[in-house]
Amino acid sequence: MEDDENLHALLDTQDDEENEIELSPAVLIEVMEEAWLNEKFSPEILPNKIDFVELLLGQLSAMEENLENVGDRDIKKTLHLLEVDRLRFLVGSYLRMRLEKIEFYVDHILKQENSRLENREDLYLTEAELTFARNFKEGIDNHFEHLMRVHPTIPVDWKNQVIQPNIHSFVFSRSKTNIESIIIDEGNDDETVYVNKDSQMIISYNSVSNLVKKGDVQLV
Amino acid sequence: MFGEKAVELIKELDRCPTSLPPYNTDLVSEVNNEMRHLIESNQDDARSEEENRSLSGESLLPTIKCRHSAVIRNIRCLLAYHYNRLRVLRTMRWQFGGVLPSDIKQNLSHLEVEWLTKYSNSLAQYMRSVGEEGINLATNLKPPKSLYIEVRCLVNYGKFELNNGIVLLLKKNSRHFLPRSECEELIRQGVLEHLVS
Amino acid sequence: MDPEEVEFLGEKENVVIVPTFNYGVIHLIAGDIGPFRAGLPIKVPLWVAINLKQQQTCKIQQPDWMDVENLEVLKENEKNAITFTRMPNEHYMALTKALLKFAPDDLIRANEIRTLVKDIWDIRMSKLRSSVDLLIKEKSSYAAVDNLTILEINSVRPLLPHALDQIHRMKKLQGPQLGTNSSAGHTSSYSFRS
Repeated sequence: MEDDENLHALLDTQDDEENEIELSPAVLIEVMEEAWLNEKFSPEILPNKIDFVELLLGQLSAMEENLENVGDRDIKKTLHLLEVDRLRFLVGSYLRMRLEKIEFYVDHILKQENSRLENREDLYLTEAELTFARNFKEGIDNHFEHLMRVHPTIPVDWKNQVIQPNIHSFVFSRSKTNIESIIIDEGNDDETVYVNKDSQMIISYNSVSNLVKKGDVQLV
Repeated sequence: MFGEKAVELIKELDRCPTSLPPYNTDLVSEVNNEMRHLIESNQDDARSEEENRSLSGESLLPTIKCRHSAVIRNIRCLLAYHYNRLRVLRTMRWQFGGVLPSDIKQNLSHLEVEWLTKYSNSLAQYMRSVGEEGINLATNLKPPKSLYIEVRCLVNYGKFELNNGIVLLLKKNSRHFLPRSECEELIRQGVLEHLVS
Repeated sequence: MDPEEVEFLGEKENVVIVPTFNYGVIHLIAGDIGPFRAGLPIKVPLWVAINLKQQQTCKIQQPDWMDVENLEVLKENEKNAITFTRMPNEHYMALTKALLKFAPDDLIRANEIRTLVKDIWDIRMSKLRSSVDLLIKEKSSYAAVDNLTILEINSVRPLLPHALDQIHRMKKLQGPQLGTNSSAGHTSSYSFRS
């Protein structure tokens, strides 16, 4: 009996692992589309999905390689190439949006990443994004330092003006599961609501940000 | 009036939100001069305020505060002017790729040129790091509709080689049916125009 | 969101085509399509259908819901309901537009379809406008927007979220003590459904 349970537990974990590695390409695309929409509508930068990006890019390269030997007039070549283009757009657009956020909120994002680092939490940025962010900050800082060098005596408060995303901004959300309680930030009063699977709401991002990161809520 | 020149800088941004007029060296240095003057006057007044503290008489404090606000406002305008120019510049980097058209390039200050080089480098470094062979994020900017699109050439561009080795002559007003991915950059640069049916 | 991006999402929807050629299974990354047998209907994503249609190698079958009779019922329902009715397809607008553009010859009574879908869209848009108006007057903090399609949601973006954000800021400044008149009578949420 006990062995049986152990065996089940073992099988379960194996299943989970396999699911993670052998995600079907169709599911992979779905995950990427969801990540794309979430990143598009979330005011803050979200935890990165680089593993999925790399997997999908791998699929695309493999496909392009296979197509090299297929004649140009073959029906399937056009369709495959068009699909590859569509997916390249998806991945590219996703990564571009992240870079745009990194540039715009660079100080804020780096601060958050540093505190995640200190608390040994997972970082939101990939290693490459982090390097890009640091370089970007360095570039901007240098630029401004140079400009202000003509005034050696002025107060340096201007360095503390950090652009932050407005996490209270309103978003459209679709729940992917039944959600027991969403706390609505009323500004002056809080309220909790129960939300059914598949229902759509317009709501403050702040109220659903954790659910978005968990994957229970999709931004649309 | 203090701060007026700085506001001119902001107005300049407002007039051309997507293009990059010549870097306004003169106006920037006028603002800097005004600031220098304000700061020096404040330092002088602060000193005499210290010395005359015991004597009854008019306090210089309101004047100092007023000048200080003007300094802060000037700083803010200067930063906004330079920051927003960098934003336009980064958008252009995405639009034109690594090489800016020379008529734009001559509008940059040398600090801006330096900044752009660094930005371009770290962007290129980032793009190389994604996936096994890197990813060019400057293409596929819009959802693809079909592999080939019809384009019209707007200038006498000259020879253009496609990935399959075919060489085309791009003459003004000539029309071509080209792979979208290969002519996207020329469209952004204004060499080709995408004809939408 | 860019309208082209909304279309991009819509192009993933499946439609039925009747190919004029024979071909084996094509293993797209998103899943297999085919085998294609001339004259035999088969389901493919819209973007594939458009591509084949452009090469004149298939006919696109009009989805059932796009029949004029069905659209008339949909329009009547939409007119009579206070809330938004559920559309037969999340991307009804993108599908209709694509078919009208790329395969008008495959549609039965194409012009009437165009008018009816436009009518339905207009009715929904006018409902949406009055709901938005009410939502803002009620100073709500959230609202259910069930049955709105992505394109419709996109049409109130970014104005509605922006307006609500401003209201939220004002409420915050007002503080808990002063906000009592709204919490006393009714809850400040408002649903597009009710």
